[in-house]
Amino acid sequence: MTQDLDRIVDALDIETFIVCRDEEEGMEIMRRIMGNMGLKDIDIVFCQHLGPGARVRARGYIFRSGDHYGWLKEETQA
Amino acid sequence: MSVAKKVVLAPLDPVHDIGLKMIRRGLDKAGHSTTLFPPDYSPQEIVNGIIEHEADVVLISRTLGYGVEEILAKFVDLVDAAGIRDRVKLGVGGMAIRAELAAELGFDEGFGPGTPMEAAVAFVEGREYVPPKAGAQRDKFDVVGASPYNWKNNSIKGLLDQIAQQIISWSEDKSSPGIERAKIREEIIRLEDMGKDASQLKKEYASLSDEVISDSYLKGTIHPQTRRLEQSELDSLKQYVERTQARMNPTNVRHTLDKPGVFSQYGTGCPFMDIAHIKVAEGWGADGVIHFDPSWGARTEGFMEGYLTHQQDGSVITPQNLQAIKDALMGSTLWQVRAHRGLNTPETVVLAGHSGADLTKINICYGALGAGTEPARLTVDGVESIKLAAKYNLPFDVVTNEELCGVPAHKAFAGMLIVANLGLILGAQPILQPLFCYSPEVMINETMADNYIDFNAAKILALREIIDAPIWPGAPIGFLTQSEERVQSSVSTGLHAALAASLGVNAISIATSDEAYSGGPIAAASRVDTLKAVKENFRFFGQAKIEPTPRAQQWAAEMVTQIEEVLRNVVEIGDFVDAMYKGALGTRDEGAYPGRAGKDTVSGVK
Repeated sequence: MTQDLDRIVDALDIETFIVCRDEEEGMEIMRRIMGNMGLKDIDIVFCQHLGPGARVRARGYIFRSGDHYGWLKEETQA
Repeated sequence: MSVAKKVVLAPLDPVHDIGLKMIRRGLDKAGHSTTLFPPDYSPQEIVNGIIEHEADVVLISRTLGYGVEEILAKFVDLVDAAGIRDRVKLGVGGMAIRAELAAELGFDEGFGPGTPMEAAVAFVEGREYVPPKAGAQRDKFDVVGASPYNWKNNSIKGLLDQIAQQIISWSEDKSSPGIERAKIREEIIRLEDMGKDASQLKKEYASLSDEVISDSYLKGTIHPQTRRLEQSELDSLKQYVERTQARMNPTNVRHTLDKPGVFSQYGTGCPFMDIAHIKVAEGWGADGVIHFDPSWGARTEGFMEGYLTHQQDGSVITPQNLQAIKDALMGSTLWQVRAHRGLNTPETVVLAGHSGADLTKINICYGALGAGTEPARLTVDGVESIKLAAKYNLPFDVVTNEELCGVPAHKAFAGMLIVANLGLILGAQPILQPLFCYSPEVMINETMADNYIDFNAAKILALREIIDAPIWPGAPIGFLTQSEERVQSSVSTGLHAALAASLGVNAISIATSDEAYSGGPIAAASRVDTLKAVKENFRFFGQAKIEPTPRAQQWAAEMVTQIEEVLRNVVEIGDFVDAMYKGALGTRDEGAYPGRAGKDTVSGVK
């Protein structure tokens, strides 16, 4: 998994629809999901609540500018 | 051609057979004998048909996903049971098909979504399909084109000439640390190209730079917000670029259009990450990329050297960073290095020219009224930069980002035309860059209350009533119409691109779908979003036009009159720098604040 994440240029976005009361709850759930997946550098890029819940896109940065990028290394078979 | 085959094409699907029809056309063209069955045949009927037609090859299609495995397995079983499996090649394709599934079910080949027709023809002919060669190069897009630079409004041209003469004569006996550093940089490059020592010149350079830059030359320290990239990283980068380049096969976003060229702006903070983003942009069809530098770089006297990275917006300009980026570009990719606004404007043009950039960006008015550089300093530096752009054969766009501060379009355009005319007189190739944006002026006057088309179209129509010149809306198109929601953001960019194409402009700068997201760096995938959106819009509209309402023409006429009034006012003031201070090209109330960086640094004698 770590080796695979190294191939991500910068960020892993996850977009979904969460059944929730309001935007705040939607974002909170999304943050928990991202955290449980082991992603650390997390942000909510977009969240809009209408009707039954919220459309949420969360982002976990794998590499930020200036980091030592895993994808620069020789590609190996997964 | 190989021996002609008898091919049966059969959709195992209630309605969908479009893919097979297209493949049939390719097979017929290749001289094969084809029979296409209707979509409602059962597996048994297809098997009977294969026997009847004595087919050599059978191509089955399946678009619907439900029950796909069962029905295809049943078909293969029936082929086996009929005793014809050994003499018939079986291929299956369609939206519901994956190569693994096809192999599992006993087909000879499976064609997933997006398979080119040539692959199916190769299968029928029993040869290996060779995709178009990776690493293919496109032609470099010509932004300036055959623009004649014909002035159509003599009254405006007369005013612009008066202003240009005043600027040229005012700046004739003036210099600045920025100009002097540009001269030294040219000499450093010349010496180093000959393998000679330039250390003395670098000390001289340091003496004309701010302390943080000077220290980098004299003490070997670097800007605290930056980090030097290591040799191992540089080695890995070289290999990464080679690997990536070998598999590049860029798409064409323009469909049937000759223009506009599509530019994508980068500035991740790190030249290596920039290169990763550039390769994404190239792969997904961008014609060019734009180097976006950090704001502190524009307000600091001097450039450092070396491969430097940092974690802020905009990538640090150094000779080495620029060279690394240039070396990573595909030969067909246009590269613009912006020089437009700061204390290093002339030297940026020098570095752009020496690094092999195709374009640069210069605007005195925006840099002095919207980006913080003192007007006199940027005027004297701007004139020198334009001369350098002419010397290095770098066409430059004249951006009008002061509109984003609140300056009305007609005032920003007056400033743009002043610089463009100055450029023509000094032998350069200026490109007009009106903004396609939801600016403060637009919000206040509600000129986009109904649509985003009319006011943007009015800008292009107004400029065309004044001069025939290349036009490159930016930067990026649709600025302030995009949100953090990536579909909305991409659609908005795509539609602005369609409008630009419809108006026949030369080029556009596009944002990523992360344009409005401020929580972190722009992600590479967001470049794909907008490039795909632009491509889809170009595909949708093709040569068809978007029709503005009559208000566009009316606003264009008003704009031309207003531009002339502004220019007349500048002429009456009698001094371009003074005119900027007096608000002729944007008042403080409108958000145009004369910059302070580099104040009192213009020297009287060169």
